[in-house]
Amino acid sequence: MIWNVRLLFAAALLAAPLCAQPALQPVNETGYQELLAANKGKVVLVNFWATWCQPCRAEMPQLVKMEASLRARGFKLVTVSADEPEQEAFARKFLTQTKVPGPWYVKRPKSDNAFIEAVDRRWSGALPASYLYDRTGRKRQMFVGETALATIEAAIRKLL
Amino acid sequence: MRRILNLAVCLSWAAAAWAQSGIVGAKPGEFTLQDLKGSSVSASALSGNVTALIFIATKCPVSNAYNERMSALYRDYEPKGVKFIFVNSNYNEPAAEVDEHRKSNAFPFAVYKDAGHVVADLFHANATPEAFVLDSSGTVRYHGYIDDSQNPGRVTKQGLRLALDALLGGGSVNPAETKAFGCSIKRIKR
Repeated sequence: MIWNVRLLFAAALLAAPLCAQPALQPVNETGYQELLAANKGKVVLVNFWATWCQPCRAEMPQLVKMEASLRARGFKLVTVSADEPEQEAFARKFLTQTKVPGPWYVKRPKSDNAFIEAVDRRWSGALPASYLYDRTGRKRQMFVGETALATIEAAIRKLL
Repeated sequence: MRRILNLAVCLSWAAAAWAQSGIVGAKPGEFTLQDLKGSSVSASALSGNVTALIFIATKCPVSNAYNERMSALYRDYEPKGVKFIFVNSNYNEPAAEVDEHRKSNAFPFAVYKDAGHVVADLFHANATPEAFVLDSSGTVRYHGYIDDSQNPGRVTKQGLRLALDALLGGGSVNPAETKAFGCSIKRIKR
């Protein structure tokens, strides 16, 4: 009996790091508008990324650092993963290791085509991509492809 | 100064808007590519009544997920008269790397380099893979994905095949514009 309890305890300890990683919240076209509405009053950068996107992974630590430095002034970083369901575990691991503030989102629309159109009609779906919204929730700028952090930060600071 | 900056932002947004909503029906015009030995090749020498121009990459996992599907497309449609132009516009993927990638994936088709991403700029291509279909007049009749899922098991719409079938049959392309997630084309920072 004691050994069973010990085994259970050991198993729980081993599983703890995985369970501690929060799940990614699925988002579709409607959910995207809802998350923007929920963040009104803040300057929001929505960063679309994926585990298969090397430049996305490379820029994430810088975005996290910038978020920490600007959070008190009303800035919010929102991440939306474009990973497929079979890649979601890797996405959780990366977000945990990179200490990306949550909640974390993952695209789960019926159609990627419709989702990309709903986010921005001008967007091809190329990653990395970030969209900057002002405190009223109005879209102010898009950054598609590899973009210098200084460029993104300068645009954010103008809105803060 | 602020007005100039605002104007520049507006113009870039307008250009992006045209890029994503106006390419179908446009005639981008003549362009030149480089074969993997560095020789220039004009688009007119590579084009036909129906031409598929597809931007690909060596390092992009999404583009690589389509390697077998692109080979199958070529094998299925080249005998029907479709001309294929596979283009690598990424500044960080040199011709030797593209050639090695082509060989290691046993592509049955040629791949061309787009030095200075001139052709990607001309078509306002942003992602890999990203496909354009042109008719005999050089007018873009389809722009978008090869199909709607990186995972072959989840494909529900074969956008590029539908477009090629429509044009070969003399019909109209519907949908003419589609979108999917992909890697950005790696452009030189100016």
